[in-house]
Amino acid sequence: MSQAQGLERLFKALANHSDLIAQAYYEGVVYKDSKNQRALNQLKQLKVLVNHSIDGYRISGRLGQFVDSALSSDRLRRLDTDLASWVDTLEQQILMYQDAWDENRIEDAENYSAEIERVIFDLSDNLEENTSYLLMLINSRFANVRTLAEKKKQNVFYISRVELLVQAISSLRPEYLLEMVDEHPALYALLEEQLMRLLPIYHQRLQDILDKLKTFLFELRKIEERAQLVQGFAFFLRQNPGYEMQDWSEQDTIPEQWNQIKPLQLTLSADTQHYAVEGELIAIVQKLRVDSEALLNKKRKPKINKIETVEREIQVMELPLYRKWLRRYFLLLEQQAGQGISAVSFQQKYVQDIDPALWLGCVLNEWLRQQQRHSKIKMEFIQFASHAAFTGNKKVKDIVLCWREETNNPT
Amino acid sequence: MFESLVKRLLQGEFICEITDEAGFQYLQNPENFFQVEDYLQRLNYRLASTQNKLSFYAAYIEIDNAARQDIRKVFQQFRLELHPVVEWLDMMMACLKQDAVLSPGDTLAFSSLLQVIENNQALADRLQAFAKFKDFTSNEDSVKGRLEKLLSTLQKWGYLQLANRDTLIYQVTGKLDYFYQSLQFIQEHEEIPVEQGEEEIAQETLF
Repeated sequence: MSQAQGLERLFKALANHSDLIAQAYYEGVVYKDSKNQRALNQLKQLKVLVNHSIDGYRISGRLGQFVDSALSSDRLRRLDTDLASWVDTLEQQILMYQDAWDENRIEDAENYSAEIERVIFDLSDNLEENTSYLLMLINSRFANVRTLAEKKKQNVFYISRVELLVQAISSLRPEYLLEMVDEHPALYALLEEQLMRLLPIYHQRLQDILDKLKTFLFELRKIEERAQLVQGFAFFLRQNPGYEMQDWSEQDTIPEQWNQIKPLQLTLSADTQHYAVEGELIAIVQKLRVDSEALLNKKRKPKINKIETVEREIQVMELPLYRKWLRRYFLLLEQQAGQGISAVSFQQKYVQDIDPALWLGCVLNEWLRQQQRHSKIKMEFIQFASHAAFTGNKKVKDIVLCWREETNNPT
Repeated sequence: MFESLVKRLLQGEFICEITDEAGFQYLQNPENFFQVEDYLQRLNYRLASTQNKLSFYAAYIEIDNAARQDIRKVFQQFRLELHPVVEWLDMMMACLKQDAVLSPGDTLAFSSLLQVIENNQALADRLQAFAKFKDFTSNEDSVKGRLEKLLSTLQKWGYLQLANRDTLIYQVTGKLDYFYQSLQFIQEHEEIPVEQGEEEIAQETLF
């Protein structure tokens, strides 16, 4: 993509997603949802928005400052000051926030809180950007000049910038700041996450810068071109994490370095017809046979599973009471064939523990079961006199069964 | 020598002084070079070398559709390697405190690197950031584990070779010459702004 195309893409994105950018500027954060996710990713890739939290985005420091300037915002004051004075501003804002909180001025407290958040993010962005950029310049350019005059000019430039960074980082008093916001967990977390946790990294970068300055302050050095290329490229990739190189493999003429063959998988087979290697092949085959025999000898005899008989205890299930009485009732019917025996009278005479209605149900059920095998038992219902006319229901008060007598003709 | 060399070339390997010293020396002799070249030509391949002649590899003579398909895969792999390898090279300059990037033949001692990174929070932070790249995610949450993962992946990609297993000394291979060639090409043709002027910071900075 050419620079002109890149610029056009940036302006289009700014215009298309102006609502999201405005929200990030005024409210401090835009949260990701299913509708805006793609737009937010694009704006992040273009460095219009940067991460605020896991699912939130804020306006990037530089764009925010540009908007301040364009709108002549009261935040503009920060543009003319240095990083160390931003730390003073942060402390003042925290004090004013605490006063507003104590006096229950909710709206003022919210405004101060938003301003504190912005100062923290601005400080964090600038410390990150300036330390990494200065380190990259020191590594890839410092002292790599031809004349002493150029060298002197460089020394002044780098020393002044290092001084400003040292002042800014020294003026950050971590314990004091964290103590100030001790009673406000959200601000405490923000301060710790965005500034305090990163201080050791900024310190280390400053130390590395200082080491290079000390070494080459009065010396010239030669940095090889390839080193400058790698350092510049690494810095570019850090600044543009979403960068994707062009697909050069789709060009008509493919660049020389990518013209490489597909790795071939080489496999070989023995030529058994070739007399010159006959001896070697026989040796290989014999070895295989020996191996096989050795393996066969080693083969274990399979175990035979032993079958053991286990004598199990036989459990005798006792017949339910009603089954016992049913059996006796039907036995009595058979013994007194040709004579009808009332189920109720049998029940009253022998069976005491079963409800009469339930007993009649059991008798009826057993008679139906016997009917499927033979029709030797005749049944007769004894019904209650029906009072309610046309109900269609029959109410049985007794069942009389009779075992048919044996005749010569079975039908 | 001819046989093993040709086999390695056909298997897509880069032949350099580090990975195959004898094979590399063999190809330095013009007569041997032409013999290998002649053999490869019968397969529609040719013997190519990186810009500084630090490694040899097999390339296509004619790029037809099938060859283009294979080249596309090589290119996709390079795309995958670009970001982490640049970051690794830049980080090594910081670790070794030198003004030159790694070159084929340079050595990296695991223990020395570990010591430098453990004593430098900024470098430990950079090492941790490799986890965002595919193939560099380590299960171990320690500087040692992450450094092992970094070096083993670069070894798998062919940029490093383990020169001594006991002392864990790695050696940079000739494939890095191919990487620099590709990087230079992209920078020139995509106009990547790698030259950062000191004046620029003076104009843009807020202090």
